[in-house]
Amino acid sequence: MEIQDIIVSHDNIHNHLDGVSTKIQKGKITTIIGPNGCGKSTLLSVMSRNHMPKSGNISLENKDLVHYKPKEFAKKLAIVYQQNDVPKDLTIEKLVSFGRLPHHTMLKRNDEDDKKAIDWALSCTNLLEKRDNDLVALSGGERQRVWIAMALAQQSEILCLDEPTTYLDIYYQMELLELVKALNKDYGLTIVMVLHDINQAIRYSNHIILMKDGYIMAEGAPRDVITKEVIKEVYGVEAIFNEDEQLGLYMVPIGI
Amino acid sequence: MTKKIISFSIVIALLLVSMIYSATTGSIKMGFFEFIGALFEEGNSQMEAIRDLRFPRIIVALFAGAALSVSGVLLQSVMRNPLADAGVIGISSGAAFVQLFIISFFPALFFMTPVLAFIGGAFACVLVFALSWKSGLSPLKLILVGIAINAMFTGLTEAFLSLGGSLNTSATSVVGSNLTMRTWKDVSTIATYGAIGLVAAFALYSWCNLLVLQDKTAKSLGFNVARARLIIAAVAVLLSAVSVVVAGVISFVGLLVPHIARRLVGHDHRVLMPFTALAGALLILVADTIGRTMVAPIEIPASTIMAIIGGPFLIFLLRKE
Repeated sequence: MEIQDIIVSHDNIHNHLDGVSTKIQKGKITTIIGPNGCGKSTLLSVMSRNHMPKSGNISLENKDLVHYKPKEFAKKLAIVYQQNDVPKDLTIEKLVSFGRLPHHTMLKRNDEDDKKAIDWALSCTNLLEKRDNDLVALSGGERQRVWIAMALAQQSEILCLDEPTTYLDIYYQMELLELVKALNKDYGLTIVMVLHDINQAIRYSNHIILMKDGYIMAEGAPRDVITKEVIKEVYGVEAIFNEDEQLGLYMVPIGI
Repeated sequence: MTKKIISFSIVIALLLVSMIYSATTGSIKMGFFEFIGALFEEGNSQMEAIRDLRFPRIIVALFAGAALSVSGVLLQSVMRNPLADAGVIGISSGAAFVQLFIISFFPALFFMTPVLAFIGGAFACVLVFALSWKSGLSPLKLILVGIAINAMFTGLTEAFLSLGGSLNTSATSVVGSNLTMRTWKDVSTIATYGAIGLVAAFALYSWCNLLVLQDKTAKSLGFNVARARLIIAAVAVLLSAVSVVVAGVISFVGLLVPHIARRLVGHDHRVLMPFTALAGALLILVADTIGRTMVAPIEIPASTIMAIIGGPFLIFLLRKE
């Protein structure tokens, strides 16, 4: 996916994305990080066509995003938003089956394919046994997995995740990130996600896009992007960096 | 699953009982077997009267109840709001007013009343949407806007009637929601448009199910949310407009019935919509039958009975929100 000179303004006064250009590499995990209001979620939103940019263009497989039909695009890219209302009286399987919508046309649907895709999505997210459970009864971590399962049922090549760990406790955060890693490794899914936690971003990404005030400050491999100076400049935080033999690079913020 | 089957069986049984009771009760009385016998008998004068007076009334009540209830389900789905009802948020009164207004000046357009009512209902629906869109269709805001729109159209209708009631004496029948004196012509109107609306509504069940997702999520599945909303809302307006034309403004049906139906058969629109249609038909038939038999020969309109039950019910729902 190629992104060129994107400008987005929610209010026509400020530019929330101010000339962003980058390239999302196929089969890699790309993480967008940056302080609150830097435009990271907006960038994800533009990539998933939820927002139309004021100018600039984005192309996927050499085709401009605006030229994709809605369902055709949904077969290429799936997104899980940060907050989701939980509908009442809906089983996990039923919700996940909504993910098959892009593969249906008015007259045609393949039940066999649908069933396979739903089973696969449920098994990836470890929800096979709970498929008949009601959504309302699930914990936060399980719910997040259900939304991911729905996105997986779309069988798209790209999966976008907007702050998937924000409302979860550490256990479910780790579980979720391991799931993302496995999806990328086992099925070659291209992952684009927004994270808040810099250490998680370092650990789970191939590529980091660091944003500030609507533009990209730095991007590249984690250890090239995340440095003492950059963290000070972008977040205004002093941090010490350390290297662990098993974990690799990690960062501890120590003051402002 | 069994709960659904039991609910359906009970509603269908009650519906049959109420239909027979309603047909055999009133100024002309008949026993059950006498009635069944007379059904297949030519030239029974009592049966002729029942056939001409009560059957149309019963059928109109059934269709009006089904149409209004299903219209409620559709509106609640489109607005993502459990409190939406064509009567409460002004769609019915909008339909009534526009129809009355245009017919008074162009009586020749009388044959087009369903279309005119549809235009009026659609206009009110657009107003409610436009004025409460900013708040993200928040349930309470939408109801407040709707009540204001409803008050406005009801007021306009009343003002118009007091000013120019002499223009067209048949105008009052448009606003009064009494089901007396319904004819087979009314039946054919409501049966035609009502059936079209109900079938269309049922055909849209999977869209209604998808609308429980947030807009951005539904959009990310390639679902055309705006188009679905527009079409579902149009069917909802059609259903409420056609019942306004034939049965007048009856509020709260679309609020009460779907709410109870969800408790009994769940939220899946494939099951919810047929059940709501049956239960709504039952409710209005019962309300109308009680209204005309309780203090006979005085009649209490079904809409009055619905308002007496529905008002407290809305308060109950608001407190629960």
